[in-house]
Amino acid sequence: MKKNLLYILMAAGLVQMTSCAKENFVNPVPTNVISDLTAFDSRDRVEGQVRAIYASIKNAGMYGGRYQIFNDIRGEDFMNERTNVVTGFDVWNYTPSNSSTNSVQNHWSRAYYVINLTNVFLEGMAAKGTAVVGTPLSNNFQAEARLLRALSYYSLLQLYARPFWDGNGSKPGVPMRLKGNTGSDDYAKARATVAEVYTQIIADLDFAETNLPASYSSAFNNTIRAHRNTAIALKTRVYLSMGRFANVITEANKIVSATAPYTAASGVAHALQSDITNVFKTPYTTTESILSMPFASNETPGTQNQLGFYYGPAAFNGGNGEYSLLPTGIIANTGWKTTDRRRTMIGVFGGKSYLTKYSVASIFTDFAPVIRYAEVLLSLAEARVRSTNTVDAQAIALLNAVRGRSDASTVFTAADFANSAALADAIVTERRIELLGEGIRGTDITRLGLPLPAKPGVGEIKADAQQYIWPISSTELLLNPLCKDN
Amino acid sequence: MKKLTVFLTFALLLIAEAYAQSPRTVTGKVTDDKGTPLSGVTISAVGMNKNALSENNGSFSIQVSEKVKTLKLTYVGFDSKDVSITGVSTVTVSLSPEDKALNEVVVVGYGTQKKRDITGSIASVKGEALANKPTQSFEQALGGRAAGVQVVIPSGVLNAPPVLRIRGANSISLSSYPLIVVDGVPVFTGDGSSTNAAGNVLSSINPNDIESVDVAKDAAATAIYGSRAANGVLFITTKKGKPGRSKVTLDSWIGFSNPQRLQQVLDAQQYTDYKNEALRNAGTFNPATNAFATTVGPDGKIINTNWADIVYRQGLQHSNTISLSGANESTNYYFSAGYTEQEGIINRNDFKRLTLLMNVDHKAGKFFSMGGKIQYTSDQNTAATSSGSLGDAFASAGLGRVALITAPNVGPFLADGSYNQSGGLIGVMGNKLGQVGFFNPQIAMDLNRSNSYGEHLISNLYAQFKPVNWLAVRTQYGLDYLMVDNDIFSHPLSGEGFSTTGSVSAIFNKNKRWVWTTTAQFDKVFAQDHTVSLLAGIEHQKSDQNSYGLNRVTVADPAFTNIQGGWVTPNTSGLGIGENYLYSEFARAQYNYKRKYFLTANVRRDGASQLGVNSKYGIFWGVSASWDVLSEKFIQNIKLDKVFSSLRLRSSYGKVGNIGGLGNFASLSTFGSGLYGSGGTVAYSQAGNPNLTWETSKKTDVGLNFGLFNDRLTAEIGYYNSNNDGLLLFVPQPPSAGLPSNIPTNIGSMYNRGFEFDIKYNVVQNKDFSWSTSFNLSTNDNRVLSLAPGITNIIGSTGGLENPSITMPGNPIGMLFVTRTAGVDPASGRRIFVNGQGRQVLFQHVAPAGQSRFMYADGTVAPTVSSADAIVYKNTHAKIFGGFENNLRFKNFELNALFTYQMGNWLYYGTQAGLRDQRFWNNEVGVLNRWQKAGDVTEFPRPVFGDNVSNGSSFPLDINVFKGDFIKLRTLTFGYNFPKNMLDKIKISNARFYVSGNNLLILTAYPGPDPEVSSNGNGTTNFGIDRNTVANQRTITVGINVGF
Repeated sequence: MKKNLLYILMAAGLVQMTSCAKENFVNPVPTNVISDLTAFDSRDRVEGQVRAIYASIKNAGMYGGRYQIFNDIRGEDFMNERTNVVTGFDVWNYTPSNSSTNSVQNHWSRAYYVINLTNVFLEGMAAKGTAVVGTPLSNNFQAEARLLRALSYYSLLQLYARPFWDGNGSKPGVPMRLKGNTGSDDYAKARATVAEVYTQIIADLDFAETNLPASYSSAFNNTIRAHRNTAIALKTRVYLSMGRFANVITEANKIVSATAPYTAASGVAHALQSDITNVFKTPYTTTESILSMPFASNETPGTQNQLGFYYGPAAFNGGNGEYSLLPTGIIANTGWKTTDRRRTMIGVFGGKSYLTKYSVASIFTDFAPVIRYAEVLLSLAEARVRSTNTVDAQAIALLNAVRGRSDASTVFTAADFANSAALADAIVTERRIELLGEGIRGTDITRLGLPLPAKPGVGEIKADAQQYIWPISSTELLLNPLCKDN
Repeated sequence: MKKLTVFLTFALLLIAEAYAQSPRTVTGKVTDDKGTPLSGVTISAVGMNKNALSENNGSFSIQVSEKVKTLKLTYVGFDSKDVSITGVSTVTVSLSPEDKALNEVVVVGYGTQKKRDITGSIASVKGEALANKPTQSFEQALGGRAAGVQVVIPSGVLNAPPVLRIRGANSISLSSYPLIVVDGVPVFTGDGSSTNAAGNVLSSINPNDIESVDVAKDAAATAIYGSRAANGVLFITTKKGKPGRSKVTLDSWIGFSNPQRLQQVLDAQQYTDYKNEALRNAGTFNPATNAFATTVGPDGKIINTNWADIVYRQGLQHSNTISLSGANESTNYYFSAGYTEQEGIINRNDFKRLTLLMNVDHKAGKFFSMGGKIQYTSDQNTAATSSGSLGDAFASAGLGRVALITAPNVGPFLADGSYNQSGGLIGVMGNKLGQVGFFNPQIAMDLNRSNSYGEHLISNLYAQFKPVNWLAVRTQYGLDYLMVDNDIFSHPLSGEGFSTTGSVSAIFNKNKRWVWTTTAQFDKVFAQDHTVSLLAGIEHQKSDQNSYGLNRVTVADPAFTNIQGGWVTPNTSGLGIGENYLYSEFARAQYNYKRKYFLTANVRRDGASQLGVNSKYGIFWGVSASWDVLSEKFIQNIKLDKVFSSLRLRSSYGKVGNIGGLGNFASLSTFGSGLYGSGGTVAYSQAGNPNLTWETSKKTDVGLNFGLFNDRLTAEIGYYNSNNDGLLLFVPQPPSAGLPSNIPTNIGSMYNRGFEFDIKYNVVQNKDFSWSTSFNLSTNDNRVLSLAPGITNIIGSTGGLENPSITMPGNPIGMLFVTRTAGVDPASGRRIFVNGQGRQVLFQHVAPAGQSRFMYADGTVAPTVSSADAIVYKNTHAKIFGGFENNLRFKNFELNALFTYQMGNWLYYGTQAGLRDQRFWNNEVGVLNRWQKAGDVTEFPRPVFGDNVSNGSSFPLDINVFKGDFIKLRTLTFGYNFPKNMLDKIKISNARFYVSGNNLLILTAYPGPDPEVSSNGNGTTNFGIDRNTVANQRTITVGINVGF
């Protein structure tokens, strides 16, 4: 019996010898990501987070291409060639459904991801980051983050909410999130009004204007990172969407000189380039580009997101020619002369016209423009006309600055315009020509209350119709009972 | 230090041996019960350390000391016998073969057990049932073989991991795939390929090398695998040598596979006319600029392409396995080599596999035995491009889809022999339209590749020390190394490579696992009636994964087709690094009283690295009991033993877990990295949960086994109930919360309940004719009980583009979620939708002036109908499934037929939405019966070009949902065994020739090619979807099995 006991003890001992869990195996530390506990521990990590917000707003679904494309193809200037929902067929023919992951759902969640990144960042800075990088730098970074949050909210309002003119901002906007979300919680939240969201956007941009650096040390950073004039320029866009023309003028005047040649007096010296095509060429960093999203061969736009892929036909740059230019669209405008330099950014392939502004062949690494100085000039011009209801001389001068740069032979005079409305129309038309393919037309249509235009096989959508704006993401509606659909 | 201790222990015990003196010689002869001499029988002298082996003629001779009174004769496969040698010097002994049924063993995890002693629910499938099939992996052939085991082959793409479920889907977010343990080592599972060629990891095991598959289903049988047991465990045992002289076998087959039941689509003229009608209806027809038109080919005829002819083919397949095996008292060995080449039904989709297996066990002396195995596999999974069947249902290149929707009035080549392509898309030829198809599949099939090459090593080595017959200590070190080399090339001419001017990727993926298991096993019978068996063990399992690769685009010269060639852009691809570790302590206690009452208890404590820092360790257990009813006196008194030849009741309960498929670092909140303007980014990319833990499954099982007619008929009836709690949900928050990822939370609950019924009957068994039949039926009632608070449902997505599935409490997991329709308005040909309020809404894609696209029947404007109006519609999981098998033998002829069936499930046949889409896509022939004039009653609406809403492309509709019931003749084999007397002359011990058909017959009302598919593979919340899936192949093979 004793022997048996010995055997059992020995067996137990042998087995026991192999026991004991390896502690470093039980709690492995990932080697290719950074823990949330240390994400604010160094300047590099803090600035890396700021860049991450840019990278996220640059993402496929947003300002890296699709947001601009969505806004352009909602207009009357483009023809859908591929009937592919993945590349915006439903947006083009005004039928995006709540469940469309290509447009409605993706943009919604992507924009809010950017917003939450900002919110998490702002809270992390308050808790730790500011102490690490010091207050001045912290303010710079927070200003950049808030500017990107504003840009996100702005994009949401343009697609998912009624324009500001409808009820003076009293219609449902989007849920407003200003707190950093990191864990499970009850996230039900109703939509704020359009006006409330705009107020927040302006507050963010005001903060940004105050706290952003006047400029960076390189033209590259002046183009891809927000500086003071970026915030001001964006405010002109935002106020114009709200129809607050006086504010547009106030803001624009900060960065537009009183007389031609128009330029920004302080901060980055924004100005029109003598040749517009230079704006869309390497290195994409002229002073005309106020903010652009950079791409490179190791920082690619990703499949079916690239501006060049959508607008360039195969014969031009190996693109997919998803959208040609409608023969009845802006290219039919007789006032837009064939000698206009901007016509060189249109090519005819297989009997169809295509926008060739984005010319880099595969893998389509053209920078995606977010805001450009020409827009600010035209916004100022329009604001002056609409606020004064006159055939405003400076408005004509600004219009001529944009037109004349590409077409010296056309000089508008007050005599060309029967009334202020005619001048305003001319400015809006100039925006279609100048900013073609830069994501402006859709928002111009809605802010002006124009119907979404009829196109081949698609009927017109009146400004009061349900389809005038996108539906709310069905995932949001399912998970956020307080959020109601359009 | 540890090693030294072990060594010393062995040494001490060996010294304890002693020798006796004064020899004498005993001779004899040993035969089997029929008088045939047995060679290799071990004759040992009881009481001294002396052994001898019998010769070929059965004779033996052994020198023993005077005090030895008894010889013990042992021989594998026979009952051992003690023979008294007191006063004799010559003995003749006959050994009786072991009673197979009585001694049949099943694998139970860290050991085996006699089948009749099992208290849990375990189904066994013999290797023969899985061998010599035109499959790539053994589990593909498991369907219908055992109750409770459901197998769905997801598509006709070779080597796609089958959907394998034991007693239903047990998880929502994690894996519902069972744990696979091969010869004691839990191995990698899933798809190891990162390309368009599927690479089921388990195909590394040559099905012909498998001795048995034991399927542990209930908590009693699985609890020894603790936190990984909730989905059941499959124990794979590879072949060992069998006693007797060494044996060589050769198994070869060759066959052809073909697609079947393909959809019928419009031909060139029908397509052209029909699409033009749709353009006219849309008001955009213009013969010069916007019209379809046929093209005359070089042969003077209209080009009329059936794209299925280009995408599909007849595949040639063959397989060869040769093995050498044998065993004597001290050593058994099994060596095999196998090679198979299989062509799939999709062009260029091939599978090639070389396997080598060595299994050796050796007994070194009285106390010590060791052994191990080495299995090396090299496989090639190759494809040209996407099939659209492996979760990429909407891939532009997806061959299953391209074959259906590409315009038939264009061809793959232009008149000059060059490819018909234009800017990455197929060229429009005579059509006056921008696009009439996606990619030209011919280019991809000629020039592209998407291949995955695997090198797989599964090996183990064990040592067992048995100082006394009731105690065994065993340690085993096992490893599973899987290296996969992925090679993807898209030619710049092909649609896949056009926009990048060519693309090539090379991704190397290393998976390494080691498993070190040490157990002590104690078996003893006390006071004759009390049999006790105890097991205790420790196990470490460590897995490391590391992958890296390059993706280079923009080819410098079209001559370059590999990663080493000249390319403009080198970017990273497929980067990944991870590790996980499982530390376990486990024990099992078994007890039976007079083989009448059986009790078993299992317990395991697991610590898993993937879990949250607060909840890494958990304890799992199972208890079970069984009762041999007939051995009871009072039962014998009522003569029940005259009715039944056996009768047993069993029951079990336990708590096990599931962590299958959980990410290595899922519990952590992390920031990932990227680039913005060439500067590094640190982005909040994962929201973690420090309390993340395993899913819990509480399983109850009750069963009754009985036999009639001396067990010629055996049956098993069982009931199971599995209550799963703490199901991990990646709880979706409103997207506006902006979280980077859904937070994994243990919160959901669900149950699986059902009955299992299994009957085997040897109807006739005589010399010339035998017939055995077996039938099994399983039911499964799955119900989701709760999700997270505030989460009313989980939407399941297909191919990332469509959401036809929903999981909601009170329903089975993965219901279909579709918008209702009410036919086609006979007056106007408009599709009638039923919106969320139950009102009928008529839809027209192009609304005439003054009308709206969505209108009520009274002509007023209706709100847009969309997926927001969808309803929870139908169940996708089979309620009843099983198999029915018959084996007939007449003299040397044999016939085997296996039917499998399932019913009670519905499928979303999304392919049909595509087949009726009113863009340029080709349509099914049914559309010829479309609405044309007022009064037409038809299910096909008035075609309006561009309309992707009426037929379900835009959002899923009920018209594309169908019953998935089927009966399939899974295999039908006709064999002939060559007569023994003929074979003896040529020194062949057995030879068999057979013809076999797989998937010969499908009885179903399902309109698609095959109701047994799954666009989303093993997904549970998006199951039951057939979206552009390539249907299963039908294969006919001829083969031989020869033994020397």
